[in-house]
Amino acid sequence: MAARQPERRGAQAPGLAASPGVQRIGHAERALLAGEILSAYAAAKLALRRAPIADAVSSLRASAPSGAPADEGSLREALRLGRAVTRLLRLVPGDTRCLARSLVLTRLLAGRGIEAKLVIGARTQPEFLAHAWVEHAGEPVLDPGDGSFGRLVEL
Amino acid sequence: MHTTPNTIPSAVNDTASLLASKITVPQHVVYRNFPAETVVLNLQTGKYHGLNASAGRMLDVLVGSDCVSVAAASLAQSYGQPREVIERDLCALCESLLARGLIEQDGRQAA
Repeated sequence: MAARQPERRGAQAPGLAASPGVQRIGHAERALLAGEILSAYAAAKLALRRAPIADAVSSLRASAPSGAPADEGSLREALRLGRAVTRLLRLVPGDTRCLARSLVLTRLLAGRGIEAKLVIGARTQPEFLAHAWVEHAGEPVLDPGDGSFGRLVEL
Repeated sequence: MHTTPNTIPSAVNDTASLLASKITVPQHVVYRNFPAETVVLNLQTGKYHGLNASAGRMLDVLVGSDCVSVAAASLAQSYGQPREVIERDLCALCESLLARGLIEQDGRQAA
């Protein structure tokens, strides 16, 4: 389902990014984040098995603190979490493609009171392909594909 | 020739009822027109459906019309085809979309 682009590989573990301005985190925090991602992945799989996608998204956002206004900090945090989710779920067996990543990131962001939209798009040429990603304040925080995907729905 | 009771009259009634119906797209269905195809996503089932350009245009006109009959008249004019032919095609499309839960007939969902 995902439109893959070459992903940069580095020596860093999930949650650590070399981008300027991104704060490095320690081993303990990294481990906590990895655990949170895996827990969110399990919750996302369960939610999708139990309910249609829109309800699954709602349940993953349930009891989350209300979203604070978007700012540079929230975008940076959303991007950091997006990278962490992508890197860690790549190592997890099972279907961890774009929809799973998007659901996991949706839960992580909701838990931090960061508003986000899960976007589902599709393209028909050269062949049919659907894709899902997450946006915060209009900015993609997961890979939105190569620009060929037309938006079908925002959840 | 003996006509089986209920069969043909029922079909005629169904067609007449459908032609008089307002077609809507339920909240759990989203669609988008692409140059060569219309993609319809049923959020309840997670299934994607593809409509060719003609069917996509029909769906646009159906949801923008007061009833299927009005949609048929509009499409017959724009395609330069007999209205009866368009009505038959529209009813077939509606039945197919209703069966998949992609449209509603006067707010009624197909079973």
